[in-house]
Amino acid sequence: MNSKRLIISFLAPATSLYFVFFLLPVLCTLYLSLFDWSGFAEAMTFVGPKNYVRLWTDPVFWLSLRNTLLILAVGGAFVFALALLFTALIDSGLWGKKLFRFLFFLPNILAVVAVTAMWSYIYNPRAGLLNSGLRSLGFDHLSKTLWTAPDNIFWAMMAAIVWVNTGFFLILLLAGTDKIPKEMYEAAALDGANIFQKFFYVTMPMIWDVFVVSFVIWIIVAMKMFEFPYAFGLIQIPQQLYTLGIYLFIMGFGHREPIYQLGYAAAIGVVLLALTFTLIFAARRLFRRAALEF
Amino acid sequence: MRSARIFSGARGAPTRTRLGNAVTCAPAYLILGMWSVFTVGAIAWVVLGALKTKREVLTSGWSLPAIPQWANFGRVLSENNLGLYFVNSAFAVTISTFAILAVSVPAAYALSRADFRGKEGLTNLFVIGIGIPIPLIFIPVFMLLAWLRLTDSLTGLSIIFVAVSLPFTVYLMTGFFASLPRELEDAAIIDGCSGSQVFWHVMLPLARPGLLTAFIINFIWLWNEYQLSLTIINSGEKRTLALGLYALQNALQYTSDWPGLFAGVTITIIPTLLLYGVLAEKMIAGLTTGAVK
Repeated sequence: MNSKRLIISFLAPATSLYFVFFLLPVLCTLYLSLFDWSGFAEAMTFVGPKNYVRLWTDPVFWLSLRNTLLILAVGGAFVFALALLFTALIDSGLWGKKLFRFLFFLPNILAVVAVTAMWSYIYNPRAGLLNSGLRSLGFDHLSKTLWTAPDNIFWAMMAAIVWVNTGFFLILLLAGTDKIPKEMYEAAALDGANIFQKFFYVTMPMIWDVFVVSFVIWIIVAMKMFEFPYAFGLIQIPQQLYTLGIYLFIMGFGHREPIYQLGYAAAIGVVLLALTFTLIFAARRLFRRAALEF
Repeated sequence: MRSARIFSGARGAPTRTRLGNAVTCAPAYLILGMWSVFTVGAIAWVVLGALKTKREVLTSGWSLPAIPQWANFGRVLSENNLGLYFVNSAFAVTISTFAILAVSVPAAYALSRADFRGKEGLTNLFVIGIGIPIPLIFIPVFMLLAWLRLTDSLTGLSIIFVAVSLPFTVYLMTGFFASLPRELEDAAIIDGCSGSQVFWHVMLPLARPGLLTAFIINFIWLWNEYQLSLTIINSGEKRTLALGLYALQNALQYTSDWPGLFAGVTITIIPTLLLYGVLAEKMIAGLTTGAVK
């Protein structure tokens, strides 16, 4: 495997496709963000940092940023709290571990558009699963809530995102607990540890590295959030659902009517990229810990 | 570790506390059970709704449809073109998935086995791609494809599918090759195999489980994605299934044809449900190996 020709012929197809159709577009976005450009037949005007200055004073940009960070922070808190709880429960030695893992991960293999269709029916004011459930439990007042009204729609979407992602991060954490030597639990049991003590003093320290990797993956998932809110809002997507990715798309390609502020959209993309990698590095630094030997 | 994973369900306290375990486990079963029932119930509700009439969906709740309305499926498949979109998706996603494997497997093999300058750097460059948010490339990708006259085409879409799937697949397969023993290759080289013979006749057969994992993960995510299709595809007849379902959902919110929408959802999720039903363990193992080293 060390002849130069062979190495090049093995690497060339993947590398060239990746460079031309992925990395080059990324660089292109950086470049475009310094221009004022309204479409493919139009001339590009160099404007320097003007697009970024405009972002600073654009309330819709701040709203999109706020929504994205809320998904990251609040959504993340719920996803990891639930995933850790379920990890502790599933790993406490009960029957059906593989079945639960199968069912909890299931939402992740459904098309996002299918999931949003399902949730829009769950939230249907009259016949939806949620309101008819609330009604049958006697919460008549609550059962009249319009879950997808402008005030509620962001949090309604968040619930669905948490439902999908909890299963994903659960399987990552469970894969971590699979590697913990059984003897450690037996020793803890002999010392009289209960479920929660086992979790905090054995499981958590042992899966810390998996937890950190999972959190970094969550940063990536949350920051690039586009498909879920976009499909949840449908064609008249309200600004309450805008994320950075959605605002980029709308400034670039328009909404119901074309907008084509390509340079401005690119600037949103650059902020998104910079923020994502800053957060990843910050998280890695914050959670760094000496490797645990066992 | 593989055996540990299979038997891990049996882990637990020693037998003498089994009965005590069952009692303390009851709340655990309750919580996990509720979440599971909600997931299965929501999916079942939708699939069941696909066979109901418009009226029934709004009034009948959990009851079975009086007369199964198979016509709902026929309607969305032909009138709303989901049949065509299904074929489009099957075409674009299958071609892309095979292409992803064809280019990323040799690359991953070279990255895990060969020695050359810049190996670290190239590996890292691929890993960085995992963290790049896809919306970032919407506009340049559209420009690039316009320049190649490939916008609004499934070929153009497939090329982008391959490019964005490379980072994860190369990462996954590099890890997989690294876990295979080197002795077999050494033996094959001593027996006089050339570098490429070793790859084709020794490593590729060994890598078959890894290939299958990479195949299902990529197939399912490409089948489900619609953000790139939304960016690249314009004309109605070239939509992928997920994009078609998005359009259907937009159209149906005014007609409140919920059964039609549910039929569309059912058609969209059946292929991935089948794949997942058969190969869930492989898929989960593949997704988690990178996180758990």
